Amino acid sequence: MSANDDKKNTEGAAPTPGSGAPSNPPPSPPNTGPRAGPEHQPPAAKPPATPPGPPPKPAPKHPGLVTVTVDGKEVAVKPGTNMIDAAKEAGADIPYYCWHPRLSVAANCRMCLVQVSNSPKLVPACQTPLTEGQAITTTSETVKDSQRAVMEFLLLNHPVDCAICDQAGECKLQDYYMQHDHQPSRLEGVKVMKNKRKVLGPRVVLDQERCIMCTRCVRFMDEVAKEPQLGMFGRGSHERIDVFPGTELDSNYSLNTVDICPVGALLNRDFRFRARAWFLSAAPSVCTGCSRGCSIYADFHGQETYRYRPRENEEINKSWLCDQGRLSYKYLDKERVVSSSIGRGTDAREATPAEAVKQAWVKLAPLVGTKGLAVMVSPVASNEDLLASLRFAKEVLKVSEVFVAGRPEGKGDNFLMTADKNPNRKGLEWIAQGLGLSLKPFDGLIPAIEGGKVKALWAVGAEVPMDAGVFASAAQGLELFVLQAFNEGPVAQAAHVLLASAPHIEDEGTFANVDGILQRFRAAYPARGESRPHWKWASDLFEAAGDTTRFVSSREVFQALASRVPELASFDWDAQAPSSQRRPGINPLPTGADGRPPGYREFGAPRVRGI
Amino acid sequence: MAEPRMDDELEGELEGHLKSKRMLVNLGPSHPATHGTVRMNMELEGETIIRADPEIGFLHRGFQKSCENVTWTQCLPYTDRLNYVSALMNNFGFLTAVEKLAGIEIPERAKYIRVIGAELHRIQDHLTCVGAVGLELGGFSAFLYAIEARELIMDRVTELTGARLTTSFGRIGGINRDLPDGWSEKVLKSLDKIHELVTEVDILLTKNRIFVDRTRGTGVISREDALDFGFTGPCLRACGVSYDLRKQSPYWVYDRMNFEVPIGQNGDNYDRYLLRIEELRQSEKIVRQALAELPAGPVIVDDWRVALPPKPEVYGTIEGVIGHFKMVMEGIQIPAGEVYDATEASNGELGWYIVSDGGGHPYKVHVRAPGFPILAGLPRMIEGRMLADMVPTFDTINMIGGEVEQ
Repeated sequence: MSANDDKKNTEGAAPTPGSGAPSNPPPSPPNTGPRAGPEHQPPAAKPPATPPGPPPKPAPKHPGLVTVTVDGKEVAVKPGTNMIDAAKEAGADIPYYCWHPRLSVAANCRMCLVQVSNSPKLVPACQTPLTEGQAITTTSETVKDSQRAVMEFLLLNHPVDCAICDQAGECKLQDYYMQHDHQPSRLEGVKVMKNKRKVLGPRVVLDQERCIMCTRCVRFMDEVAKEPQLGMFGRGSHERIDVFPGTELDSNYSLNTVDICPVGALLNRDFRFRARAWFLSAAPSVCTGCSRGCSIYADFHGQETYRYRPRENEEINKSWLCDQGRLSYKYLDKERVVSSSIGRGTDAREATPAEAVKQAWVKLAPLVGTKGLAVMVSPVASNEDLLASLRFAKEVLKVSEVFVAGRPEGKGDNFLMTADKNPNRKGLEWIAQGLGLSLKPFDGLIPAIEGGKVKALWAVGAEVPMDAGVFASAAQGLELFVLQAFNEGPVAQAAHVLLASAPHIEDEGTFANVDGILQRFRAAYPARGESRPHWKWASDLFEAAGDTTRFVSSREVFQALASRVPELASFDWDAQAPSSQRRPGINPLPTGADGRPPGYREFGAPRVRGI
Repeated sequence: MAEPRMDDELEGELEGHLKSKRMLVNLGPSHPATHGTVRMNMELEGETIIRADPEIGFLHRGFQKSCENVTWTQCLPYTDRLNYVSALMNNFGFLTAVEKLAGIEIPERAKYIRVIGAELHRIQDHLTCVGAVGLELGGFSAFLYAIEARELIMDRVTELTGARLTTSFGRIGGINRDLPDGWSEKVLKSLDKIHELVTEVDILLTKNRIFVDRTRGTGVISREDALDFGFTGPCLRACGVSYDLRKQSPYWVYDRMNFEVPIGQNGDNYDRYLLRIEELRQSEKIVRQALAELPAGPVIVDDWRVALPPKPEVYGTIEGVIGHFKMVMEGIQIPAGEVYDATEASNGELGWYIVSDGGGHPYKVHVRAPGFPILAGLPRMIEGRMLADMVPTFDTINMIGGEVEQ
């Protein structure tokens, strides 16, 4: 963790003290404005030693704060606050393209020009330091004229692409055109043509015609990803964003440039042409690609997830998400086990959930308490899944130790991605300890199966930290293999009783990330087919076993069992639910084109999701 | 009223009455003598109505809630289905309310076209009502003349809007298309014919003994009761109250139109009938005047936040395509606030209470249907009267299920 921020220090960037999360952009050079954090700003209370020229600064109205007036409304903010943020506090929305709160200031889009009392000309709000007593005007005719003119210039060479553009519906050009321009085109002649499909890298493609040269992507790669792979080339009408010759945009953070691109220039090759943004709904969720647990929005339509987008979270991922995590949504859609089955190989037949549970218990019951029965759990499951499942393992199956499966170790980096590709290992450790179970490493399982010590296995999750085929062939030797799995695959084929399971996107719950931060996620849509979350299978198994324990929701699981786990006990499950309201940044339209909520067509997802 | 005599001991042999008892009768919801799908729960004592309880809801479609789920423009087809006999008046009334909330002033020509459309549909509505009164009292020929005249209007409206019934005409900020070539002349010719046909209906009904006997003095409501119930339109004016929003708070260009507001005296079915016949003539006068004065110019405001850009701009320029996209996908952004606005529809005050939260969709749309309070007053008009009086009364109040039940 502590080495997080010096990921590219071999390239000469000075390591900054790690904080476990992406660093702020480096303090800007003095001539680029007020982006430096508060700690870099001289306290406003102390008048600096000035040369004899300018008059002394007025004493601050609110000591320690800078008091300015935005459109006649007084607002006091911390010194070093950006003018755009200060205006927002006063209820004024200053439009901007190139400014990004987590990047250095470029002030090149000119959209945020406003009138201030201490300058005869319009000034860019993103770059102009606030001064005591400054009066800022964001709605005067001069400002509106300037905004209209900027929009006209930005659209001058913009292609007529909305109908085929992935960004349509979440495009700042569209928003600001309607708010600040709404005039017909005055272009005579033809538009400048550039490369419409410049493949920048394995995951990003650029439409240079749509680009407005805000350089957010260039600054992101330089300052946040610290892999300067993008640059601006050419001048005037020939100016374009591109990769340096002979290189490609292959950073593991390249898709963030697509997020921060305010227009449809940078496009996600995975998502491109797959869905229209206004048909998608967004569920606040958690990325399960690694143990960092970045906050995300999962954009879905019907019962299919289309993409992950980062969700603002100051503690974990700020505004970013790695490409590997972002593309990890695919297991939610592809090769899903949607119905349970009994039997293995040619004997396999589909079964109703009730049949499958009954069969599982009939087979498991004689083995309860014997040495030959082992339990394997995957840290891909949520805390609720694990609470219910491990309780079943301990109290009904009478085991005292469980094997920890999970996805194999991968590569980590010093930014967001961790080497542990399981989202909830921390939660599993806490819960096992809280319920009094000991965890055994997965390595011991194969020899135990092959040595005949383990004859029966109940597995919650099919992810194994080794080649799935190899594990599956070892599992063929089991006398009983009851498996709860999301996805088809060799392991699922080896099961005697396969219980179709629903991944986190189809239910709500919590994950504990690598730093022990607990996060709630919301359900996007109901479980596919006859699949059910692991906790529900555990509840059904309790019932089959004649136990009185029942759960009807993941919330109930947490509330019934979290008190046994000290780390979970103080977590307020309801209060910690992420809001499903619109957030700053790119949001899909609140409703679909025909008035129904997006993602509503196939079945009745309620308009207000979640709790 | 006196209790009917039940005691047959007092009756002579020749006058022996059948023993009667109170009967509960359902009139409707589907009955040839009720136009509109409404059910009357009636308690009868012989042929006397003791209690009448109109039960609505058979045409309930969730109009108000549906509007909250669509953009402002997409509400327009829903308004067609309120009073489906005069859809243009609903269209224009809704648009006028939205424009009032958004502070949009529509072009002159659009105002004239709205007056023409609304008055044509007032004629259509009154013709339907008058014809149906005749029909249900046994005068089939009068109905045919009225319907022939109505067909002429339907043809003209089809030429104008593309639809006979569900016009969805007009847009926020004006009218979506101008009058077709030669349409004005056709309307004038049609009005001539309609004038003849109305005269024919007038001759057939107004002095017809049967018609007069069944309508005069039946379905009476006093001026005070009518006001208390919240009657508006012809039913109120038939009681002698001169209240017409076109005069009281003129909208569009009604202040420039020369027309009279006829009023009745007795508040009975006959007065309501006569009033409609007279309003037919006044509306004709308004249409003629509006067509004569129709100014040239645009029919919709020139503002791309409200009016869709012209198609060549949409297909050829990014500005046009963005404007079109945002307006179609997100709806026209109406400033946050609430408004009540009303227009004089054929049956009375058609009021709109509209709330916007500043987005492209209505936050709330409530419609004050003129027929609702009138239907509520129906029991007062017929209780204690003969069952046969129910039929003309129900006709002349002209309850339209579409707007009452929404």
